[in-house]
Amino acid sequence: MSIFALELPPVSHLFDWPTIWLDGTYFAINKTVLVYLAAMVVTIVIFGLAGRPRESLVPAGVQHVAESGVNFIESSVVMQTIGPEGRKFMPFLTTIFFFILFSNITGIIPIVQFPANSRMAMPVALSLLVWVVYNVVGVKSQGGLGYLKSSLFPPGVPKFLYVIVTPIELVSTFVVRPFSLAIRLWANMVAGHLLLATFAILSATLWDFFYVPAALPFLMLLFLTVFEILVAFLQAFIFTVLTAVYIGGSMHADH
Amino acid sequence: MAAGETIGGCVLEKAAEVEKEYGSLQAFKSGPEDAIEDFEDDLEGCVEAPSPILPEIDEIIWGSAAFAILFAFMAWKGFPAVRRAMDARSEKIQADLDAADAAKADAMSTKSQYEEQLAEAKTAAAAIIDEARMQADQLRTDLQARAEADIAEQRARATADIESSRHQAIDDLRGDVASIAVGAAERVVGASLDAEVHRSLIDSYIEEVAGSRDNG
Repeated sequence: MSIFALELPPVSHLFDWPTIWLDGTYFAINKTVLVYLAAMVVTIVIFGLAGRPRESLVPAGVQHVAESGVNFIESSVVMQTIGPEGRKFMPFLTTIFFFILFSNITGIIPIVQFPANSRMAMPVALSLLVWVVYNVVGVKSQGGLGYLKSSLFPPGVPKFLYVIVTPIELVSTFVVRPFSLAIRLWANMVAGHLLLATFAILSATLWDFFYVPAALPFLMLLFLTVFEILVAFLQAFIFTVLTAVYIGGSMHADH
Repeated sequence: MAAGETIGGCVLEKAAEVEKEYGSLQAFKSGPEDAIEDFEDDLEGCVEAPSPILPEIDEIIWGSAAFAILFAFMAWKGFPAVRRAMDARSEKIQADLDAADAAKADAMSTKSQYEEQLAEAKTAAAAIIDEARMQADQLRTDLQARAEADIAEQRARATADIESSRHQAIDDLRGDVASIAVGAAERVVGASLDAEVHRSLIDSYIEEVAGSRDNG
């Protein structure tokens, strides 16, 4: 694709990776799969090492990373959205947060340079999992009818408005939520990856002809790389906090 | 087509496959129409890639498996171990804080005891000093009184001694004067007077003389 003499690949080519192993099967392994596996291994290693008994009172290294993450999720997510009874969901929410974070952060790691969540697979899978979890929690906490009633007929709304509110709540709670969760994460990572690729190609192309002007897109590339760290963290946090909000809303009828 | 491949590379690869199968591209051009349509589809595939919004089954399977394994590990060991470590540290810090509070309370109690004892000691010292001062005053007063009494006694004794000595001297003098006067008178008058009469005359004379001196 040629735009102003820049040779840009088709957009989809930036996200579709060739199969490395087991081609043609449902277990084909490509770069995206490797990033997912790496995110799993890194999280396991961090929490495995952090959980070892230590003499030191001051946490350091991976222990600091794990404990900061747990503290952050507990104080900024669970306690703010569900309350003390939400602590039982801490392992689930911590897993979601770290898995998404490490699947996102690979977008700025040299050589890898690909955020796995810019592929739709895990955003969709995790969103559906969250959908199942918060609905099961709602049914267990309030009973089937009670959960449906509190979800579709929110308290405090004048009864004649239920004609409008109930269909909106039905679509919002049971249809839109998983889609919005998945698309928000996926679209943000796609946009970030596109920006990085665009400015990288622009820098490389200009470098072949004009050394000085190439510095401008390169500086922008550096800025966006740092910005993508923030986006990677922020998207993991948003996905986790929305999951907690949905679970908290399902647990309490007054939400 | 996948990332990392160029469109030209993909086309060349497809052309090489056809060339290998049919010997040359010219031979392929005169080949079956179905094969040509498949080749065209392959070339379109070099330009088009799968929709990025459609999830791939293999990625869902591997990603879900990775997440499931990770969640199982976190629920079984990872999270509880980290939580235990955090709780243990919190408990240790709390225990240290409690111990420090207890030590501080002990120190404060000891300090108040010391201060109390110090105040008592100061009070006792002040009482002792006052008592000593009173005793010293009393002793000084006693000593002064005793000294004054001694002085008065010594003075009285000295006065008595002086008076006694004076009387003794007067008596001695009287005797001597009487003897001298008698002797002198005997010589003057040539007559012997009765000693007793002379003595009484002399005594009266002396007393007269002494009385006139005392009055004078």
